[in-house]
Amino acid sequence: MKILVCMKQVPQKDAPLKLNAGGTWIREDVSYEVNEPDAYALEEALRQKEKNGGEVIVITAGPGRAQQVLREALAKGADRAIHLEDDAFVGFDALNMARALAAVIKAEPFDLIFTGLQSDDYGYAQTGVILAELLGIPHATIVMQIESSGDGIRVKRELEAGYFQFVEMPLPAVLTIQSGINKLRYATLLGIKQAKNKPLRKITLAELQSAVPAGAAGNLQKIERLYVPQKTKNTEFIQGTPAEAARTIVEKLRNEVRVI
Amino acid sequence: MLIFRKPPQNIERPQMPADVVIVGGGPSGLACALRLAQLIDQHNAAHPDSLLSKENIYVLEKAREIGQHCLSGAILDPRSMRELLPEFEKEAPLDAPVGKEAVYFLTRKSKFKLPLTPPPLRDHGNHVISLNRFVKWLGSKVEETGVTIFTGFAGDELLLDDNHVIGVRTDDKGIDKQNQPKSNFESGYDLHSKIVILAEGSRGSLAKQLITKFNLAQNVNPQTYSQGIKELWEVPSGRIAPGEVIYTMGWPLTSNEYGGAWIYGGKNNTVSLGFVTALEYADPRLDPQHVLQEFKRHPFVAKMLAGGKMVRYGAKSLPNGGWWSLPPLAGDGWLLIGDSAGFLNSARLKGIHLAIKSGMLAAETAFAALQKDEFSASTLSQFQRSVESSWIKDELWKVRNFHQGFEHGFWRGLFHAGLQQFTNGRGLRNRYSSAPGYKRMQPLVGLPPNGGDEAHLLGPAKGDGQLTFDKLTDLYHSGTKHEEDQPAHLIIHDTNICEQRCIQEFGSPCRNFCPANVYEMLDDPAAPHGKRISLNPSNCVHCKACDIHDPYQIITWVPPEGGGGPNYEGM
Repeated sequence: MKILVCMKQVPQKDAPLKLNAGGTWIREDVSYEVNEPDAYALEEALRQKEKNGGEVIVITAGPGRAQQVLREALAKGADRAIHLEDDAFVGFDALNMARALAAVIKAEPFDLIFTGLQSDDYGYAQTGVILAELLGIPHATIVMQIESSGDGIRVKRELEAGYFQFVEMPLPAVLTIQSGINKLRYATLLGIKQAKNKPLRKITLAELQSAVPAGAAGNLQKIERLYVPQKTKNTEFIQGTPAEAARTIVEKLRNEVRVI
Repeated sequence: MLIFRKPPQNIERPQMPADVVIVGGGPSGLACALRLAQLIDQHNAAHPDSLLSKENIYVLEKAREIGQHCLSGAILDPRSMRELLPEFEKEAPLDAPVGKEAVYFLTRKSKFKLPLTPPPLRDHGNHVISLNRFVKWLGSKVEETGVTIFTGFAGDELLLDDNHVIGVRTDDKGIDKQNQPKSNFESGYDLHSKIVILAEGSRGSLAKQLITKFNLAQNVNPQTYSQGIKELWEVPSGRIAPGEVIYTMGWPLTSNEYGGAWIYGGKNNTVSLGFVTALEYADPRLDPQHVLQEFKRHPFVAKMLAGGKMVRYGAKSLPNGGWWSLPPLAGDGWLLIGDSAGFLNSARLKGIHLAIKSGMLAAETAFAALQKDEFSASTLSQFQRSVESSWIKDELWKVRNFHQGFEHGFWRGLFHAGLQQFTNGRGLRNRYSSAPGYKRMQPLVGLPPNGGDEAHLLGPAKGDGQLTFDKLTDLYHSGTKHEEDQPAHLIIHDTNICEQRCIQEFGSPCRNFCPANVYEMLDDPAAPHGKRISLNPSNCVHCKACDIHDPYQIITWVPPEGGGGPNYEGM
């Protein structure tokens, strides 16, 4: 089984974020990490390979710094990596990104393509789905479990309110993986050392000219403004004796909040 | 019930051979790795018939990324970097060359500018830098040479064969709060190395093992430390020029405590400011994070910061014992460099350039040993001799008694410092002694209940949320993060002392000197004095103050699971 894992480098979740001057995105000088669901997607791919044999290839799109994601994946056991390297990828919307990825995948077919369920930064949850559409292959989202079944696979999807759906699918297919599907492994010293000699192929934006001719300008989605949530909560202290306070509360619940 | 980190016994550990293992990817460790790679490259170019390999030279760094645990003011004296990479000023991330500089003495409401900047604090020719960015860049230079940096791996234990250091064990990963392996448990490696170079920074945990094991501190002054608390601010333009440098003495400390502040102008309207408080104060209620908050309330500082925003926070100890506190620097299979050894000039408040130089000299010794294929103390002690004949000694010798001169307060310290200026560092005698700072801490019973002159520095700072901050708010800005499900890495060897004695005698000072709210005393009717000790290890910013300063010396800081810790991005 040949599995491609699409991984993204995103601003670190818990670090204080700084916005750029235009207030349209996060400043470059923050810390980055692997998008969380993508880490689970990689782990799942490695487990599938350990079970069924095959090859795991990782791909990312982003500036030079994004290579860190690939290095970590190679250290954990991926066989080789592809880096679509350009600063412009940071501003790509889901459609544009899927087009870029599809262009690479069309040249080299895979049995399975994993993406994370969504990215921790944009949170679109669209790239994997659009990618499947562009490739003309089936997809399943929010995948919690994968088993082989005849010539295809059987996957467990998480629905709302504790419900799950089981789907039989043919291959090739795109699966978007939910965080928590497995337990992430640690990279080992040996893995990190071996990763240095694994192939890492770089592809420039120019080489993808025909797939994304306008670059980020070809986006269909645009971020108008980004801002830190403003606190709007107001705490009011009700004075008086317990009886008076209770009367005031009842009045407020009736007239202001209108719940009784 | 507190459960402390304890490496699992009797497990099979993977082995890996190494030529050189450098523990710690800060200025000294990376300079060492880079210099060693340069020497090997030069050798290989000249002797194609006897090639040396860089394949088995490793740097271990406990941070998830290079530079994330590096904290300093910082001002870089370029001397050693120019020796390491003569053209470095063209490509390294430097904020600004030092321009305007001033030293002030502060009283509660006023400031007095010293008419002349004291020679040790003259910074012309130096650069204001972010140590985090600088070290990240230095790391990339090391990686270009082919040397492997293992980020997210701590040195957990020294491997010994008799009295010979033969390697380092890395941290075990995937151990839960109860010290049990999780399903993704990955045991640490035994890196068997010909040479182990400890470059862990101030109060290194392996350096402590080494110094204790071989009793290395027996003939030198006890190391003394300060605690540096730093905030990075963004301020409205025009407040301070990039490269402007201000030092202050005096307020909010009284003449009983040793310490002072720095304010450096960085690029893009950033201000690095911080307060260094010697961990030698008498009142256990004193809180160094509180000292910085009080400092910011001085009109001079408050005006500079008004309308600005605090963006980062950090804390770190620094060794200020100087030349007389340096332990032996080499032995069978090992070398000590940077802050782990104590290469810091406390009169200049600078150590980065010395750390780099010590790393370079250690690399030269290691290179010679690799060529000879001989790693005993007789070969490696060349490092000791190189340090003694280098400008490190020239610089530290002149200030060998500087910090000790302040033992009896600020004014007598100034007298000694002045005298030392004219006697090439000698002062009244060739070697001033020192005492470990924790021994100066006084029991509560003899101290004024209201705090006396130090009242404004005691206990937790409240913070107004604009100019001053409580510890938790500051802590959030350190970006610190750890795997939550792991045992406590702050090992208290006897918690009975905390609950029976310390709470009564010293009032649990761990809560005050820890800059990260790791230590708490929680109400517990079953405890002898109604409170039991509790830990929040995930808050830890790896400053080591607890290991250094607890009055009973019952805390040992060991590395948590690799990858955890603060994130000093841009600091």
